[in-house]
Amino acid sequence: MVALSRRRFLGAAGALAGALVAGCGAEEAAEAPPSDADVLAGLLRHEQALVTAPAGDTAAARAVRDQDRRHVGRLTRALSERGGAAGAPPAGDPASVPARKQQAVFVHVEALPRLSDPELRVLVMQIAASEAAHLAALRLAAGEEPVPDAFAGFTEAGAA
Amino acid sequence: MTAQVGELFAAARTDSGLLKAGLHVEQVAALAYAAAADGPLQGEERAQALRFAEHERRHAAAFETMLFALTVPVEARAGAEHLDAMLPGLRRAGRREALEQLAGLEGAAIAGHQIMGRRMRALDALRTVAAVMAGGAQHLVVLRRALGASALTKTYETGA
Repeated sequence: MVALSRRRFLGAAGALAGALVAGCGAEEAAEAPPSDADVLAGLLRHEQALVTAPAGDTAAARAVRDQDRRHVGRLTRALSERGGAAGAPPAGDPASVPARKQQAVFVHVEALPRLSDPELRVLVMQIAASEAAHLAALRLAAGEEPVPDAFAGFTEAGAA
Repeated sequence: MTAQVGELFAAARTDSGLLKAGLHVEQVAALAYAAAADGPLQGEERAQALRFAEHERRHAAAFETMLFALTVPVEARAGAEHLDAMLPGLRRAGRREALEQLAGLEGAAIAGHQIMGRRMRALDALRTVAAVMAGGAQHLVVLRRALGASALTKTYETGA
């Protein structure tokens, strides 16, 4: 699992500023970059976990799970097209549904710079947006503030 | 309006051009939510529009920071004339028309962010762009519900 804390949101793009100016750090440059198939395999495991974990039986939860199944299918196909194969779904994740969804947003966004194929980046952005939307829809269904953060959870400050 | 936003992104040939397009759209979106809160929207919807206006200002600030990182000066700031050009009639619109215009603008922005995903060369920047896009996707869920849409989320959120 990619450990991506909310505080790592590019400091309202501050950290990004350094990255844009400096490019990759020496440590990163020394490592072989992952292939698109490697990145897709990691994303697929996250989506599989979303589908296999218990999520309740509300209309919102059913709609979300149906769309997650489609994400799994599309990612599996993209992985297969690049010579990879889907592994077994991970064991049940004890995290709550919103926590899993939030993590899904994080991992899809974090994966973007590691994908070399522009069309794959667009697909992953579309899934990331869908996961963020799921989170808002589930919050609405629970009677919670649907969008507490301007950056879909990447900042803790929220919409103060 | 959607076409106008699309043309802005399509016309951009460089990372800085794409980021300037993104900045302009976020600035106009901030003005649009503020205008909707000043006129067509009432009660909780007005309060939500004010929160979203603040989100859009934060999105714009993130784009500005990325432009600064590329040493690109940000000289122009969207004003009322840009809002009127992109969303003509918003100030005088009724509730439903205002919500539809806001949803259209959010969708067009998401589509533009995905153009950035396909075309930007500074891939690290895509994390911030995608975090902004994910925030927009969450706004779209709220707007769709206010409009009585049967489906609040899409399997692949393209903004369309």
